[in-house]
Amino acid sequence: MKLGKEEIQKIVLGVLLFFGLIYSYFDLLLGPLSKRADITQRSAIGLVPQIQNSAAQVQKAKDMESDSANATLIMRQVEAMIPDGSPVAWFPTRMSEFFKKQGIDRVSTRMTGDVADKEIPRFRRIAWGVDLPKVDFATFGQAIAALENNEPLLDISALQIDASRDDVEAQHVFLTVNNLVKK
Amino acid sequence: MALRLNLYHETIKTRALQRRDPLKISIYALSTIAACCATWYTIQLVRYHTYTDDYLQKKAQFDKVEPQGKAAKKKQDELTTKANQSVLMGKRIESRFYWAPMLSQLSQVVPREVQITRLGGEVTGENVRHCVLTIDGLAAGPDPRRVAEELRTAIAERLGPHYANVTSTFKSLEDGSETVLLDGRQMATAIFTINVQFHTAEPATPSPRKKK
Repeated sequence: MKLGKEEIQKIVLGVLLFFGLIYSYFDLLLGPLSKRADITQRSAIGLVPQIQNSAAQVQKAKDMESDSANATLIMRQVEAMIPDGSPVAWFPTRMSEFFKKQGIDRVSTRMTGDVADKEIPRFRRIAWGVDLPKVDFATFGQAIAALENNEPLLDISALQIDASRDDVEAQHVFLTVNNLVKK
Repeated sequence: MALRLNLYHETIKTRALQRRDPLKISIYALSTIAACCATWYTIQLVRYHTYTDDYLQKKAQFDKVEPQGKAAKKKQDELTTKANQSVLMGKRIESRFYWAPMLSQLSQVVPREVQITRLGGEVTGENVRHCVLTIDGLAAGPDPRRVAEELRTAIAERLGPHYANVTSTFKSLEDGSETVLLDGRQMATAIFTINVQFHTAEPATPSPRKKK
């Protein structure tokens, strides 16, 4: 069978068309589809650790929440110890009542400073000057021991005890105390 | 030999030609290739849809879990901060300087020949509390300077076991101009100022509660 010129042209054109179709199939149809499939698969795989991470965070938070009762016990106790309202309203009264119970009647308490607590942001430290003009040393010693035991949020930073010239048995005491209060 | 004439040879030839028609064969081949390509494309399309469904499912799950995770992280941070603050608070309460035991120990070493006229004390520092005491007083006796010296050493010895780096030094020690009556005798006096320094390496134990 002998092919004519026109038939050869048709065959060549057909072959070219065939290769064109094959190229288009891979480049325009199958290629992008495979690419999209791979991207989607990778995205799905990439989401797995993020989901696991989030789930782990939720679980960890739940565990921490269940343990937080013990972990924050001191903080809750401390918060319960601090009365509501302005410290200027309750602290001097509290000191007067406390020392009165200890047998020291004359007490004068004044605020001398107010500093925000850097380490515990919800609290601030208030410095007070507690003046006890006339105390007996033994009574004062017992009172100070009771104060340190009963008021854990109170820290005596300085004290000054002066012997009275008029009364040998009496001393004049000035305490500088820092008290932790809520903001 | 008989002559056989095939009168259908043209028809047979035409049929054979039709059977071996290159165009037909090409069409068959191309159709097969096209069918294979279409099948493969369909398989890939199904695969893609499976991945898409999986992705969408995971995305929906992630969209649901992610805000919870963020909220959990925030909560976790809050709880950690609270727990740390709680520990810090406990530590701060425990590391307070307790004056009552120190005053008690100090009062036990003051002899009857000495009168403390002024006692000043200050505590500084956060974890290791550094305490400075200034004790002004009047010592009386045949040798009042010796009495004052005994008090100075007694203070250091008494506070030594309870606190760290206890130092007790005289800031001043002078003969007093006045005499005092002690045990029916007039005694010479010495005026002194003792400087005591120490710090609490570990939290001091609170003094026992007063029993009512």
